[in-house]
Amino acid sequence: MPIDRKHLGKRYGPFRFAVGLEQVKDFVATTGGGVPGRVFSSPPDRFHPWTFDEEAARASPHRGLVAPPSFAAAFAIQPFATACSDPELGVNVLRLVHGEQEFEFLEPVRPGDLLETTGAISRLQERGNLDFLEVTTETRNQHGRLVVRGVWTAIVRN
Amino acid sequence: MKKPESFAVGDTFEYVREVDPYRPVYYAAASGDFNPIHIDAKVGRAAGYQGVILQGMCTYSWLSDACVAYLGDPARLRRLRARFTRPVQVGDVIRFQGRCAAVEGSRVRLEVSATNQQGEEILKGAVAEGDVGEG
Repeated sequence: MPIDRKHLGKRYGPFRFAVGLEQVKDFVATTGGGVPGRVFSSPPDRFHPWTFDEEAARASPHRGLVAPPSFAAAFAIQPFATACSDPELGVNVLRLVHGEQEFEFLEPVRPGDLLETTGAISRLQERGNLDFLEVTTETRNQHGRLVVRGVWTAIVRN
Repeated sequence: MKKPESFAVGDTFEYVREVDPYRPVYYAAASGDFNPIHIDAKVGRAAGYQGVILQGMCTYSWLSDACVAYLGDPARLRRLRARFTRPVQVGDVIRFQGRCAAVEGSRVRLEVSATNQQGEEILKGAVAEGDVGEG
C-alpha cells in the first residue's frame, strides 16, 4: 500500500549526537578495510591520515582529527531511519532499499562536537509499483552552524 | 597537500574495495545501522537476496573516500550524490573509477562509476563537488 501523502512534511528529531574520538577512528577503520573496536581490532589499510592518525592531524591545517565526510551516515541518519520505521507510515522494512543519497558538507566534524539533526519528509511519490520516501536532514554543531545537509531516499516495493 | 592548480579536467582516479564476510557487521558497529538485513543471512534471503547485503552507506563511504583521496583533504569535499542501483553482497569486489569533469575557479566536479566484479553498475549518477581553494 502506498504511503499516505498526508505525511509529507512530517518532522523527526532533533536527535543529539556527541562525536567521540574512538567512534570516528572506528568508522575509519571499518570503511578503510580494518577492524573496529578494542579486541581483535586492526587499523585501516587505506584512509586519509587526518581522519585517523592523531599526530598527522595535529600537524595538518585542521590542527586535529576531522571525521571523514561520510561519517555523516553515523550521526545524520536518525530522522530517515525513524521515518522508515514510523508505524504511522506503515513501511515494510523488508521491502525497502536505500535508493539515493545526497550530502552537502559545509563544515568539518571533529571529535568533541555536539551535533543536533532534524529532518522532515520532503517527498512522497508513487512510480509504478515503487514508492519513494525522501527525508531531508540538517545537522548543526554546538556553535549553531550548519555542518551537513542530507537528502535520503528510500524505495519501497509495493 | 595537492595544490589547487594541479586539478585538471580529465584527471582520473581509482579505488577498489572487497566485501569480506564481516564487513556488514563491522559497518553496523561503526555506523549504528543494525538492520538485520545486513547481519542475518536468513533475513537477507527472506528479502530476496542471496544472504546479507552490505549497507548502502558503506558503499557510499567508499565513494566518498575515493573522492577525498583525489581531492587531498577531507574538508574539500562539499557535495556528494549517488543512486544505489544494485545490492552489494559478501564477496563482491567494488571498483570506483573517477574522473574530473570540470574545474571552475576553486570548484571541481567529479564523476564516478562503481562496478562489481561482473562489471555491473552498483551506483548510478555518482557526482561530487569539491572546493580546492587554499585557506
